[in-house]
Amino acid sequence: MAWLVVRLAISVSLLYTASAVFEDQVGKFDWRQQFIGKVRFALFDTHSQASKKLLVATDKNVFASLNSRTGDLFWRHVDKTGPEGHIDVLLMYGQDAVVVVGNGRLLRSWETTVGGLKWETVLDTGSFQAATLVGVQDYVKHVAVLKKSAISLHDLSSGSQIWVENLPDSDTVQYQTIYSGGNGLVFVLGVVPNSHIVIVEYKIEDGEIMNKKSVEAAWMSSLENSCTVISSGILLCADQITQSLYTLPLQSAEQKEMRQIHLQTLDLEVASGFQPVLTSTRPNPAQPPLSEFFLQLSPDHHILLQLKDGLIAPLRDFNPSYLAAFATSGERTVAAVMSPKNDTACSINLFSADTGRRHLDTTIIYHMDPNGGKPNRLYVHAFLKKDDSVGYRVMVQTEDHTLTFLQQPGRVVWMREEALADVVTMEMVDLPFTGTQAELEGEFGKKADGLLPMVLKRLSSQFILLQAWLAHLWKLFYDARKPRSSVKNEVTIDILSRDEFNLQKMMVMVTASGKLFGIDSKSGTILWKQYLENIQPNSVFKLIVQRTTAHFPHPPQCTLLIKDKDTGLGSLYVFNPIFGKKSQISVPALPRPVLQTLLLPVIDQDYAKVLLLIDDQYKVTAFPSTKNVLQQLQDTASSIFFYLVDSSQGKLSGFRLRKDLSTELIWEVVIPAEVQKIVAVKGKRANEHVHSQGRVMGDRSVLYKYLNPNLLAVITESTDTHQERSFVGIFLIDGVTGRIVHEAVQRKARGPVHFVHSENWVVYVYWNSKFRRNEFSVLELFEGAELYNSTVFSSLDRPHPPQVLQQSYIFPAPISTLEATLTEKGITSRHLLVGLPSGNILSLPKMFLDPRRPEVVSEQSREENLIPYAPEMPIREEWFINYNQTVSRVRGIYTAPSGLESTCLVVAYGLDIYQTRVFPSKQFDVLKDDYDYVLISSVLFGLFFATMISKRLAEVKLLNRAWR
Amino acid sequence: MSRGRKVSNAVLKRRSDVMTSPGAQGGGALATRGGATAKRMKWALELSLGNSSRNRGDRQSKDGDVMYPVGYSDKPVPDTSVQEADRNLVEKRCWDVALGPLKQIPMNLFIMYMSGNTISIFPIMMVCMMAWRPIQALMSMSATFKLLESSSQQWLQGLVYLVGNLLGSALAIYKCQSMGLLPTHSSDWLAFIEPPQRLEIMGGGMVM
Repeated sequence: MAWLVVRLAISVSLLYTASAVFEDQVGKFDWRQQFIGKVRFALFDTHSQASKKLLVATDKNVFASLNSRTGDLFWRHVDKTGPEGHIDVLLMYGQDAVVVVGNGRLLRSWETTVGGLKWETVLDTGSFQAATLVGVQDYVKHVAVLKKSAISLHDLSSGSQIWVENLPDSDTVQYQTIYSGGNGLVFVLGVVPNSHIVIVEYKIEDGEIMNKKSVEAAWMSSLENSCTVISSGILLCADQITQSLYTLPLQSAEQKEMRQIHLQTLDLEVASGFQPVLTSTRPNPAQPPLSEFFLQLSPDHHILLQLKDGLIAPLRDFNPSYLAAFATSGERTVAAVMSPKNDTACSINLFSADTGRRHLDTTIIYHMDPNGGKPNRLYVHAFLKKDDSVGYRVMVQTEDHTLTFLQQPGRVVWMREEALADVVTMEMVDLPFTGTQAELEGEFGKKADGLLPMVLKRLSSQFILLQAWLAHLWKLFYDARKPRSSVKNEVTIDILSRDEFNLQKMMVMVTASGKLFGIDSKSGTILWKQYLENIQPNSVFKLIVQRTTAHFPHPPQCTLLIKDKDTGLGSLYVFNPIFGKKSQISVPALPRPVLQTLLLPVIDQDYAKVLLLIDDQYKVTAFPSTKNVLQQLQDTASSIFFYLVDSSQGKLSGFRLRKDLSTELIWEVVIPAEVQKIVAVKGKRANEHVHSQGRVMGDRSVLYKYLNPNLLAVITESTDTHQERSFVGIFLIDGVTGRIVHEAVQRKARGPVHFVHSENWVVYVYWNSKFRRNEFSVLELFEGAELYNSTVFSSLDRPHPPQVLQQSYIFPAPISTLEATLTEKGITSRHLLVGLPSGNILSLPKMFLDPRRPEVVSEQSREENLIPYAPEMPIREEWFINYNQTVSRVRGIYTAPSGLESTCLVVAYGLDIYQTRVFPSKQFDVLKDDYDYVLISSVLFGLFFATMISKRLAEVKLLNRAWR
Repeated sequence: MSRGRKVSNAVLKRRSDVMTSPGAQGGGALATRGGATAKRMKWALELSLGNSSRNRGDRQSKDGDVMYPVGYSDKPVPDTSVQEADRNLVEKRCWDVALGPLKQIPMNLFIMYMSGNTISIFPIMMVCMMAWRPIQALMSMSATFKLLESSSQQWLQGLVYLVGNLLGSALAIYKCQSMGLLPTHSSDWLAFIEPPQRLEIMGGGMVM
């Protein structure tokens, strides 16, 4: 019976929290963009002439097929992260794509049209070196995989292993390359650095070693980077020190030394310090490669050479040229070369590979993005036109991971910004008002100077409004006459303005590659992008909004702090988040490594918030640092505090700012690093508002919340990872005084810990290693029935410790990330947004994570609307805010308040980006989407007319009665 | 009073009878001309006596009436001077008025008990009515005083009336209180508490 009551209560409580998107709302205010990451391998499907497929494998362990006409994904397979899912090589033959995954762990074959897995084979252990398709008599039947100490041959149609052989002397020889010329033999090439090359010849049928020889090559350190096989099995190597090319026929038994060809004899020279690169082409994997090859002598110098009768002859010199690539269509092989045209554009031309002659009318102009990176890879898709000439399209990859697909004469067919697959941090910035809105807004800002000028000002601004309205009407009229298709509602920066409820914002995204993006949150259109060059791959970014759009005519201002992990030095990049332009403001030089930043609520005379940067000598730099700011800082210095957490030493330290912008250490908490390690620290979000200062109890008294804005949640994990002894600790520390307000330990628990710290609560998730399940735990802090001080909050004057309540729940799924919704005034109830590894984002009402949930239902708890305690946390499909639009590898969720109290903007990012709105308490402040305006207004008008008519009738009747 | 009204009715009848004497011809003509319509007339004057064919029979019996002048009544006129019994009546009436609100209290208590403490439309309506009636009565206090003017115990009655109404409104307030409609708890003022101002500014984080 009790259970029945509990269940009833739960289902009733679920009834009004359940919310999901209706079918007709799909895509109305949400969008998703799918990315693949930085392309490492790209192959065009040349199997048939009409094929639109482009197969790519990326550094994000994604294997995908793109539509080469539109750039959209046909299909995408996302493998495990890290080295386990790393794609080592991608080979393609006909309809099959063969992939080696996880440093030679798995060999997979994919069907390229639908992306289905044909077969998968687990390979023997050993680090992967190379793989190649092995053909016999113009037909590819096998794939050979070279490991560090073994070679195996697999059947291409079934994946079954035909044979595996150990390589001779694999402890001294580094086997690196594998080659098969289609004549029943597989050559394995190894090198003993600075000594000799080893060539082992295997028979395809049974793996028998046919021949083994070693050739002197004292200059060689690595085969992979400097050698290639051309023509009918001739090994070609380039060496920078001796300035020579070396050739060696693989099959000849008598030649004991490589033949040296000095580059000087060809009138060539390798740029100093540049490792020459050889590029050969092999149109058909069952046949030997062509005898033509590219030699890159310097970053912008390529030369097309040909090996003929043992002699190397230059066919064409491309100087300057950035990139060169071969492509084959049918029987014809062409070479595309990208050369600089002027400062902003490059031209790509097509040359026939066998003669080096330029094809006429094949120029593609590639306009380099001034805010992008330099091109670094060129992929060419050649095809035969109807008149039997060769046409081509190119895909250019740039340093900022952008893919641009071009066709003649330079039209950009599509573009993919793959840098967005790795968003590091983001912010949402309000859009500016339109000119008219700003005009009205500006009127209140202007100083009043007499009655008449004020009236005139008001009149003039209203005249401008009228003008704008008329222009708008005219535009509507003009657009209405045009056919619907020609009216494009493209979003551009110029027409961008804040909407009525501030639901449309600018998403400023910082990616790991150092490219910044400005994205319209409504449509997902990229409005601006800016590539910051010379960003180290492991840099740390911190994005700070210093000035919002609220201070017209001052432009909004964002500051990006970039810290290089290796040198520790940081730099500031200041820009306008709406237009993406770099600001002209002078940026302070940061000669010392920056440890942390602090954004003060203090503003300078231009309404920019002051950013303090603390360096490794605990000195503080202010930005901006005008006289006004320094004066304000001096006045408020005694109330500005820093905390720094050094995870390696397990030390938390607090500092107070002095008037001379130095700091003094005021507290220190040491959490012994041998026992437990500090994993994460979080304060509260600066833009969070708490509307209600307490909670109403069942007896209508108030339990006041402990709302300490300086509270920090510190999560630690034990260094001992044994499942019986591991634990997760949480410390609530006051960041000003260093006082430990509360500490809790979860025994037999393990990370990774995800947590949210907001209002007066902390929610954290950990893995319970005893029961093998994920658990949620919630901590809530209350001051009690009375407020200690209701007007001001000072951490220095808190004599009473808060009451702490805690409860834990079982969560039936692993978790990728955790975030809480945020609204303008904090009236709306809170939801937790839980990113699941499946790609779904669960909107979990905070109501379920309430430590006051009673085990026994009482009158008072019912009065409070508390759900009876149940250990299991439900996951309901209708709570997935992204229905079937899953976000692959969700890494972070960003929430921002909108102008509507009911609405919170959510952006989930990972491999994909998903933007939506959530309404934790439903849309209580706006009419619903499906509000029946027609019905309501027709009823209204109907009633109005009925009233009019009946009034008239009543009058007539009264008159008649009076006459009677 | 009713007696007086009867008297004047009788006078009117007489008068109409007297007025009938001259010009009966016209009336007669009118009556004969109309035929059926004559009967539907709203009023008619009979100017000649005895000529009328309608009620000659009963007229004949009251022949002597004609002799009385206009306004003459053969019945005695009642004595309208205030008597002791009437004064008592007024007093009683005034006490009725003064005690009215007090008399309603048991009824209200019963309604209160019946409607319960749940907040729904009917109890709310009851409470509103219960609260509104005494307030209305208190507002029209001067009118009630005027009513009680004739009583000798005017002030006492007024006081009783006032106390009764106050009791009624107190009852309504008690009902509101028991229904939880009065902002008497600290939770009712929770929304008005401003978030405290923070005195310290703090920031930082993990060493970057």
